Amino acid sequence: MKWNSRTRCAIVCLGFILLFSLFSFRLIYLQMVKHDQYAGLAAEKHVIKQPIFAERGTILDANNEVLAHNVPVETVVVDATHLNDVETTVDLVSKELQLPRGEVSEKLHTDRRYIVLKREVAKANADSFRQQLRAKNLRGIYFERDATRIYPNGVMLCHVIGFTDFDHKGIQGVEGSLDEYLHGQDGYRYIEHNRAGQEIVLYRGQERAPRNGYQVHLTIDLNLQNIVENEIDAAMREYSPKKATIILMRPQTGEILAMANRPAFDLNKRSDTKPEQMKNRAICDMMEPGSTFKIVTAAAAINEHKFGLDSYIFCENGVWNYGGTPLHDHAAFGDLSVKDILVKSSNIGAAKLAVTLGDQKFYEYIRRFGFGDRTGIELPGEISGLLRSPQLWSKISITHIPMGHEIGVTPLQMATAMSAIANGGKLMTPRIVKSITTADGKTISTLKPIVLRQVISPQTANQIGMALRGVVSDRGTAAAAAVPGFTIAGKTGTAQKVGPHGGYEKGKEVVSFCGYLPAEHPEFVGLVVLDDAQTKPEQNYGGTVAGPIFSHIAEKAARYLDLEPHEEIRRATPVERVALTSSSRH
Amino acid sequence: MSRSRRNWNEVNAASLARWIVLTGFLALTGLIYVYLTLQLYHLGDRKKALETEVSNLKMQNEVASAQIAALTSRAALQRRLKEGYLKMIPIAEHNIVRLTIPNRNPDDAIQPVSNPRSTR
Repeated sequence: MKWNSRTRCAIVCLGFILLFSLFSFRLIYLQMVKHDQYAGLAAEKHVIKQPIFAERGTILDANNEVLAHNVPVETVVVDATHLNDVETTVDLVSKELQLPRGEVSEKLHTDRRYIVLKREVAKANADSFRQQLRAKNLRGIYFERDATRIYPNGVMLCHVIGFTDFDHKGIQGVEGSLDEYLHGQDGYRYIEHNRAGQEIVLYRGQERAPRNGYQVHLTIDLNLQNIVENEIDAAMREYSPKKATIILMRPQTGEILAMANRPAFDLNKRSDTKPEQMKNRAICDMMEPGSTFKIVTAAAAINEHKFGLDSYIFCENGVWNYGGTPLHDHAAFGDLSVKDILVKSSNIGAAKLAVTLGDQKFYEYIRRFGFGDRTGIELPGEISGLLRSPQLWSKISITHIPMGHEIGVTPLQMATAMSAIANGGKLMTPRIVKSITTADGKTISTLKPIVLRQVISPQTANQIGMALRGVVSDRGTAAAAAVPGFTIAGKTGTAQKVGPHGGYEKGKEVVSFCGYLPAEHPEFVGLVVLDDAQTKPEQNYGGTVAGPIFSHIAEKAARYLDLEPHEEIRRATPVERVALTSSSRH
Repeated sequence: MSRSRRNWNEVNAASLARWIVLTGFLALTGLIYVYLTLQLYHLGDRKKALETEVSNLKMQNEVASAQIAALTSRAALQRRLKEGYLKMIPIAEHNIVRLTIPNRNPDDAIQPVSNPRSTR
């Protein structure tokens, strides 16, 4: 072979061909054979699944007033390895975020890559801080978008609304019970980012939009709630009870119009709240109802046709020995009609009604009125109360339960039972949720009234209603519950407080009044319960303590609901509250 | 003259032109491809910026809504009432006039109507 220029040229060309062939083969190998493997590795480094957070739904009242909603905030975090001037950063962070300098310094003098400096920083503060960081060319501080729950009304309706935890999960009240509707569903997006961490929009991958949480509309009317909250606060100031509960309910539908408990707490300042303050006592606490329970006894006796409203029963002149135990009335009553047993609140009369019915039948009626079962309201933590079966009753239980002893009921159960009387004997499921809609108003679910059962006949309910009108009269135990211009039906209750270790606590009572207005066509049922009101012993009764509170609420509520008063009743009813004597025990 | 003509390669002008056009076309295609790719990146960045802007506006809207809700809340109004910024006087019963709404028969011949087409 001649080693001339032609040959040399051919060898060089061959070399190049081989070299490029090698490159080509390598390229083909990498691009085709190893494509999936390397694409996966690249994706691991650059592709991330970015969550798109759903917004939590708003809670509104019956008139679309906002009760709970979200406000955007930012979480300030630090990557300590990215800090370029630690001391200046510490100074700025402690000044802008109002954190102790020592604490910030300790956090930043580490090699940790994710340190949360402060959560729930308002957007305006975060923006100002961001600008300061830019101006001073400080790196390593990052901002994460978040949202926090705001309750514009603070303490008002706190037990019903409830609250969420750090992860935005509802843990109490409607926030807890309807969390699956309020929470929504987070979306996601696969994104690719460059070396600077910025998204390359061109390479956006699969995406699923978030579904924001639904709006929950409550049956609560904030105007009525406001009336109730003001009155319960006034009662707390005047009587300093340990606990207090007020419920307003629409008897025809079971809608809760207002519900307030004390002690209460501010939904926006929960850090220093004690667990006792967070309890919704309307559904979580049970009490002996006292004489308000006599409506059940009388309704059962009349519905079973054992007695009529005008049937007379001898009330033993104040003391009746039954089962070896004396049963007392607060006054020496002789013959009383069934109506007067309610009006005068005779324990002996009520006991005799129940004895005539018998254990089993009486127990059946108690259950039919909903006692011993959860009402099914859309609130978490409801208890069923305490009702023993007749097999566990003592010999004298049949004389004590009719007057609301030896039984534990929740305030809501009591209000629901009174609603059944006001609603022609139909027991309704109490409801707090009116409807669930999307943010743009499309209805997802409307909760219709649920009739649980016809507890007593409409005629019996009407008769009991007539008797209960007498309670709120000059003859009855709750004259102070009257509202000028309206006929009110109701029943007082005064029960000795059960101690934590059993037995009754001397001088401590649970006073209550449960009634409805107007008696002819009830618009609302109200229950007022005060536990251990601090007042003179001779005045610590349902009629004298809870009755006037009901009267104030009912008067304002009637005005708000624009109920037309009857002139003749207004003239007939004395404007001054009727002062009760110590004889009006119940 | 003839000698010099022999030493020069002849150029096929038509072929050269064809190659030049082809090369130019390929170059132009490449440039367009690069330009369009850059445009895509640019539009992606613009899209991201707009998304951020919309998100910021939404945040501002939410903050404003929160402020409105806080300022018009029952608690805030009560506070203002106590501070004396608002004055509310209960309406006396004798000042309320209640109008009884007549039970209208749906078959009534005369009904109040509004005519949206009427311009006068």
